[in-house]
Parts: sequence; structure tokens; C-alpha cells
Amino acid sequence: MIRKYLLPLLAVFGLGFAVLTVVSGSKTIPPAMPFVDPTSPPFVSSVAGTGIVEANTENIAIGTLVPGVISEIYVSVGDKVKSGDMLFRLDDRDLKAQLAVRQAALRVTNTNVKVAKASLSDLENQLALAERITDRRAISVEELDRRRFAVQIARAKLAQAKADIVSAKAQVNETAINLDRILVRAPVDGEVLQLKIHPGEYAPAGITQTPLVLLGNVEPLNVRVDVDENDAWRVRPGAPAVAFLRGNREISTDLEFVRFEPYVIPKKSLTGDSIERVDTRVLQVIYSIKQAGLPVFAGQQMDVYIEAIDNTQNNG
Amino acid sequence: MNFIALKMLIGDRAKYLGIVMGLTFASLLITQQSAIFLGLMTRTFGFLTDTTLPDIWVMDPKVQYIDDLKPLKETEVLRVRGVEGVAWAVPMYKGLLKARLPNGTFQTCNVVGLDDETLIGGPPQMLQGKLSDLRRSDAIIVDSFSVRDKLARVMPDGRREPLKIGDTMELNDHRAVVVGICKVTRTFQSQPVIYTTYSRATVFAPRERKLMTFVLVNAKPGQDSHVLCQRIQQGTGLAAYTRDEFKKLTVRYFMKYTGIPINFGVTVVLGFIVGIAIAGQTFHNFTLDNLRYFGTLKAMGATDWTLLRMILLQAAMVGSIGYGIGVGAASVFGTLSGNTELSFRFPWQLLAVSATAVTLICAASAALSMWKVIRLEPAIVFKS
Repeated sequence: MIRKYLLPLLAVFGLGFAVLTVVSGSKTIPPAMPFVDPTSPPFVSSVAGTGIVEANTENIAIGTLVPGVISEIYVSVGDKVKSGDMLFRLDDRDLKAQLAVRQAALRVTNTNVKVAKASLSDLENQLALAERITDRRAISVEELDRRRFAVQIARAKLAQAKADIVSAKAQVNETAINLDRILVRAPVDGEVLQLKIHPGEYAPAGITQTPLVLLGNVEPLNVRVDVDENDAWRVRPGAPAVAFLRGNREISTDLEFVRFEPYVIPKKSLTGDSIERVDTRVLQVIYSIKQAGLPVFAGQQMDVYIEAIDNTQNNG
Repeated sequence: MNFIALKMLIGDRAKYLGIVMGLTFASLLITQQSAIFLGLMTRTFGFLTDTTLPDIWVMDPKVQYIDDLKPLKETEVLRVRGVEGVAWAVPMYKGLLKARLPNGTFQTCNVVGLDDETLIGGPPQMLQGKLSDLRRSDAIIVDSFSVRDKLARVMPDGRREPLKIGDTMELNDHRAVVVGICKVTRTFQSQPVIYTTYSRATVFAPRERKLMTFVLVNAKPGQDSHVLCQRIQQGTGLAAYTRDEFKKLTVRYFMKYTGIPINFGVTVVLGFIVGIAIAGQTFHNFTLDNLRYFGTLKAMGATDWTLLRMILLQAAMVGSIGYGIGVGAASVFGTLSGNTELSFRFPWQLLAVSATAVTLICAASAALSMWKVIRLEPAIVFKS
């Protein structure tokens, strides 16, 4: 009896198990949800770009005219500065010493003038005495000439001493100017964005890899948007744009067109490598962030969408 | 009559078992081999099975299948974002990088770089750790198979110590810290899968001018994916496929350029032939043996139609038993091999295909027998 039903039973179980396998095997994998929601273009047709937030004066990398060791820094990071405010000063001991020497030299030339004046007066006096003598036998022509020339020489010496004063004054002035040149001042109103120097550090003249002081006016901030050269033709001047903060698509702001950067540059990959990879060239469009109080800093990246011409219709 | 037919069938136990065995074997062979074949083909796009969030994959127009890596310029993601109807587009890096294991050997790994901000395209299931842990420095997420196997640490005594959270490894001379373990669908090449962020992947990767492999795109609500694909192709000159199209593209490549389909096809056909040979022949013999009973029935006035129904019933009986046991055995095999390297995929279509094959075998066998019975003279009973 059991034997009779064994095979059909086995078959039923087999089929059942197969159906079970099919059902359990056909489960679809649920999608891994994004960690934060990606931004979505707010326009029907738009050009997307990566924007870097920067100061409206652009970020000014302050340099120094002369190299030297930094002795004093007058600002700290985040300070608001006015145009002309002192930023930092290089070591000035050598220049101060030079100033003292040159001021002393100036005083010497001043006294030299007095000496020359006195000497001239003396010789003029002697010449006058000799000229008052009418008796030609009492003084020789030669003697008279000698005295005349002596006066002329003394006059010339006085002139030279006076010229020396001018020269010494100029030298003092030069040192004073040099002293002023090692005092670096803010060229614009703005905020200290970066301060990469400390008293005692050597500040080389010329372009440094990290700026000594990064300065810029951050009210309002600008966004420098990289647009692929292939899409550049779609961007019209003055086109409205919206920027999204990375990491939170809820934080966005309308942008106001400022200008095109007229020269198209090679795009820099932000891989952090010292050698940048050149991908393509990008048109840079400068926009201004109008909204105040946005939690955004200079140097931050933003996703920007610029309203643009539809590319599928005009692309032929 | 039906009862007599079944009695006749079960009564001859040796033949009964023989037919059922033949059909079971055929059904098992066809089902199991097709399932392995389907499993292998599914593995070719295993990565696409896992990454279900994006609707559309944008890539270089010359890409032939999922592991055919032809990177794009990084600005292409911006261009794709600018196409009308795109809700979002994020970059993805996919590449093969060398991992140096603590015992000094090298292992090529499939490294997937996810968009730094959104981490879109991540693994479907995290076993340990969180996807957001990728935000930590040098962080990577490793799949659960290779943690125990290819990336495991071999101890001095030969034990294999699985990779744990917090362990470090070397990826292309860069330090990487395991912050999570995920479960992924196995891929064709079965290389370890390592998830990290896009920017970190570009640091790990050898210096190349182009690094972005895919742009993952989602359409705006109400936007037809196929139309959007065309628009992306038109607007950017890149290839855009929906997930299913990309799967098909991948499978087509493997079908065309590997011997896998021929190999398995031959086995399946062999199973079919073996089924026909064994089951058909045994069934035929069985009918021949019972020919005199049929003759008797015919002599007693049973119509041809009744006899045909009896044979069909017998064929259906052995067919369904053989089929049931066959697919059951294939499923057991599949379940047992679930945790091994063997691929096994059993969709309902396969159940239907296998049923059709068994039905065909049974029909062929029954047809032979029916021919005999119809031509049967009732007088045969009185011979011999």
C-alpha cells in the first residue's frame, strides 16, 4: 500500500520543494537607498556645473616683496581687515641698524656743511683783507690769486657738503621705505581666510604653493562655476542659476550672474594630487550668492544648475 | 478503465521504476544544467542585480558588457545632469585594483567607487557596519564571501582568519581600513568586491587621465526611461542603457564570445535525448508487454479511444512522477550547493521549460505505443 503511493508522494514533495525554491529564489533585492538625496535640477533644461565658493574680490594670496623671517603678525584667521591695515612684518633689525647708520651719516654731512661754511667764511675774510691792501708791494699777485682760488674751492666744498646732505637724506629715506616695504598691508577690505605663517618662519618672495595670507571680501560670496566646454554654448549671460549645498539638498540658494571668465581654462581634477590631471577645458561663470546667512564657506564645493538652452533640439 | 490502466502500470514494477527513473533523470539533467547555466548568466550581471537604485547607466559607447571598463571624463557627469528629464546623475568608479594581502600575495579586486556625497550604488545588504561609515578616512566595505575566502588572513599554522572590521589592507600601495562587510550577488569572475567612495577610489587607482566608469542616472518622475536614454545619447554622445538593457547587453556578450551556452546547451539536449531514449524505449517495451491485455480489452469491446486514453493516462502518470522527483532533486541539489561557488538559479520559467520537455518525451513515447495499440488486432490474444 505504502509502496504504491511512495513514488507519487515523492513526486508531489519534489514538485512542492521545486516551487518553494522558485519562490524563494525570485525575491528581488531592495535597492540600497542613497545616504543623502542627490540634487535634482530645478529647471526644465539646465547646464550642471561644479561651483567653488570664493570671495567676491577673488581669493587674494598675499605675498611679500622681500624675503625674510617674519617677526610680527597683526591679524588672526577670520579677522575683518580694512584696506591698508597691517597684516605682518618681516624682521627689520638690519634695516633699523642701517637707518641709524644713515641718520648718523646725515648728521655728519650736516656738520660738514657747517665746517665748509666756516672754512669759506675764513677764506673769504682772508681774501677780503688781501684785496683791501692797495700797496702792490705788500702782497704778491700770486698770493692774491691763491686766496681767490682758495675761496672758490671752499665754495665748491660747501656745495658738495650740501649735496652730501641731499644724498644722505635720500639714503635715510630709502631705508625708511625699505622698512615700510617689509610691513605687509591689506590691499582691500576683507576677511583673513587663511593664515599659514607664524612669527619666526621664513617668508619667501614670489609665488608660494600655499599663500602666506589668503585674503578676500566674503560679503557677498561668489561661486565660480565650471561648465564643460561642450556645454558652454548653452549658457547665456545673465541666466538664472541655483546652487545646492553638498550633503543637504534642502539648503539651496538663487544665484545672481556676475560675469563670464573670458578665458576657458583646463579643468583641474580635485584629486588632491600634486600633479593635476587635465580632463577637458571648462568655461568659468561667476555667480554671486545673494542669500545671507547661508552656512557656506569660501573654498566649499556646490552643485550648480544654470538654466540653459535645450541641447537635444539644437544639437542637430 | 483508468484503474485498470494504473494497475497495469504499477503491476510491472521493474518497468514502472525504469520509466520513472528515465524521466526523473531527464528532468533532473535538463533542470539542473539549465539552472546552472542561468545561474552563470545571472552572475555576469551580478553587479547590476545588486545596484537597483539607478534607472539608467551611462557609459562609453564602446562598452560591450559590465566588466568592459572604458572610463569617461569626469565632466561628463555634469553634462548628463544637464540633460532634460534627468532627476539626478552621480559618478561611479569601477575598476580592478591589486590588493596586497598580509602574507605577501596579491589579489585583484573589483573596486567600486560611490559618489562621495550620496553614496549611490552601494551594496544592497550590509552584514556589519553601515554604508555611511565610508565617510571615514581610508574606509572600504568588503563583501562577505571574500572576507572568509580570498581576502582572509592565512595564519602561520595554516588557519584562515576572516577579515574583520577595523583590519587594514593595502590597495595599490594605499592604506585601506575595512569599516563594513556587505552581502553581494556573486559575479562571473568572483573577484572580491570592495566598495569605497569615488574620490578615494581615484586615489587608489593608478594615475589615468579618465577615471569615471559609469554615470548613474535616475529619471524624473513620469519620464520614460527609454526616451531619456535616447535624449542622453543625443545630448552627450555617450551610450545610455536602462538596467535591463545593460543586463541584456552583458548576457549577449557572454553568449556570443564564450562557449558557455553551447556547452550547457549540449548537456541539456543530451538530457533530453537520454530521456527519450530510456523512458521512450522502456514505455514502448512496457506497452508491447501489455499488448495482449490491450488486445483483450479491445476484444471485449473497448474502443480505440478508450485504449488511447489509458495509454495517455499511463504516460501522464509516469511523466508527472518523473518530473516531480526530477525537479525536486534539482532543487535539493541547488539548495545544497547554495553556499558554494556553484551558481544555481531557478526561475519559474525553468519549471515550465522542464515540464514541456518531459511532456514532449512522454508524448513521443506515448505516440509510439498508441500506434501499436491502434494497429492491434484483437485476435492477437488468441495467438501464442
